[in-house]
Amino acid sequence: MGELKTSRLSERNVVEGGLVERLYWLIKLRWIAFAGLFLTVFFVDKFVGISLKTYPLYAAAIFLGIYNLSFRVFLYFLEKKKSAAVPKINNFLTNFQISLDLIFLAILLHFSGGAENPFIFYFIFHMIIASILLSRRASFWQATFAIFLFLSIVIFEYRKILPHHCLKGFVGQSLHDNLLYVAGVSFVFITTLYIAVYMATSISRRLKKREKSLREANELLEANDRIKSEYVLRVTHDIKGHLSAIQGCIEPVTGGITGPLNEKQRDLLQRADMRTGKLMFFVKALLEVTRIKLSRQIKVEYFSFGEMVKEAVANIQSKARDKNLSVKLTIDPGVDKARGAREYIQETISNILANAVKYTPRNGRIDVNVGDKGNSIITRIEDTGIGIPKDELPKVFDEFYRASNAKGVETDGTGLGLSIAKQVIARHDGKIWVESEEGRGTTFFIVLPK
Amino acid sequence: MAPAKILIIDDDPDIVEAMKVVLESKQYHVSIAENGQKGLEKVKSQKPDLIILDVMMETNDKGFEVSREIKSDAAYKDIPILMLTAIKEKTGLDFKKEAGDESWLPVDDYLDKPLKPDELIAKVGALLKK
Repeated sequence: MGELKTSRLSERNVVEGGLVERLYWLIKLRWIAFAGLFLTVFFVDKFVGISLKTYPLYAAAIFLGIYNLSFRVFLYFLEKKKSAAVPKINNFLTNFQISLDLIFLAILLHFSGGAENPFIFYFIFHMIIASILLSRRASFWQATFAIFLFLSIVIFEYRKILPHHCLKGFVGQSLHDNLLYVAGVSFVFITTLYIAVYMATSISRRLKKREKSLREANELLEANDRIKSEYVLRVTHDIKGHLSAIQGCIEPVTGGITGPLNEKQRDLLQRADMRTGKLMFFVKALLEVTRIKLSRQIKVEYFSFGEMVKEAVANIQSKARDKNLSVKLTIDPGVDKARGAREYIQETISNILANAVKYTPRNGRIDVNVGDKGNSIITRIEDTGIGIPKDELPKVFDEFYRASNAKGVETDGTGLGLSIAKQVIARHDGKIWVESEEGRGTTFFIVLPK
Repeated sequence: MAPAKILIIDDDPDIVEAMKVVLESKQYHVSIAENGQKGLEKVKSQKPDLIILDVMMETNDKGFEVSREIKSDAAYKDIPILMLTAIKEKTGLDFKKEAGDESWLPVDDYLDKPLKPDELIAKVGALLKK
């Protein structure tokens, strides 16, 4: 127990997370470009009567594939490191990748007709991507760089410094030495790129602003919720202190320590004691849910998941037997150690099991199944109980919510058990959900990463 | 044999009164200190046979401080300490495992709040027999 490790679960920098996601997006787009390029070259070469130098184009496609793969691998290691410098590196990476993509497209165009090739307008896509991912200033720099590359090709081909690969069949004659054509295309190209960047950055700026204000509003909400929770914690803690004293004072009396009681005295005091006990139970649940909410860290350890579930099932056996419920537990042989807060997870499972016992009529069945899913463990708890009305399903994990038909079976209930469960599972980056049919039964699913 | 002397160190007068009633019903001699400072003084002046100590007086861990002080004094370290606590649910720690590990928690046994009279009598009896 001494080596309990503390770790921060499910806390991810929003900004950083967003950027990494966008880098993945870029890589995905590049795979599409890779496939598109192969298909286009192949199709044009085989079925369209245009003379095309295919070797450099295929070579370029392969180069694109290789560098995309290297980025993917690099990103994998970068994410593993999780250093504080990641956002900065990401920004540089995005800039670098877009520039590299521009160079790549320029080379491709040079080998397929230069300014004759209508694919020159594909530079717009790069501009849009840059406008979304980068600042306005960086986007304009990227546009300038694209124009520089484009003009280099056009001018060098015009001056015959670079060879021209004519798209014969697509254009009647070479256009690279036609000054009017070259000048015209260049003018349209330059203006198109700058205007595209201007428009796209205007839109993305507005979106970014909105995103920021949403994030701020969300942070404010969270802060307020925290203040509320802290207040609840303080108040319930106080209430618990008083309750504890009340119980401490009543019990010696009902226990006869202070002398014999008559029937009526004992009856009334026992009622008071029972009600205090119920209130205590409620207060404890409320304290717990609030504490989990407020704790930024929870203690985690490695533990045997199967053993933990076995214990939880064993704990409800006697109550299940009272109602003649058959409880069956199956555990996949592959299920081994899991990492997490054992007590909290066990409590979650115990809570759901207790509900299953409570809301399943006599002679019913409860099936518990623990399955191995590679990176995660899935626990399924199925009962033949009263079920949950369909329209109430989304609300059962809310604080203080109790299903309408549950109230008929059991008048006492805090409506906090599943709320605690949800908090605990969320803290472990897991998932919990429920499927149910009213009158037939309920199945809870819990997926926890190992 | 003279009745065993029990010192209760706890700042909740109602809980103290309840415990006193329970313990006196078993003919123990009970004295009370309402804070850690007075508790330490009474340990020295009265040399009780057993100390019941609330973990959460004044601050969250004042009880630990007091118990450590008693257990580090050779003259008093043999006096058994029964710690009153509601800490299990807060920390998730299993006191059964921790009690007895002196480096971590220098007490002899613990008792969860709210108190059950039978449990209190049983634990006090067991500790005094040692």
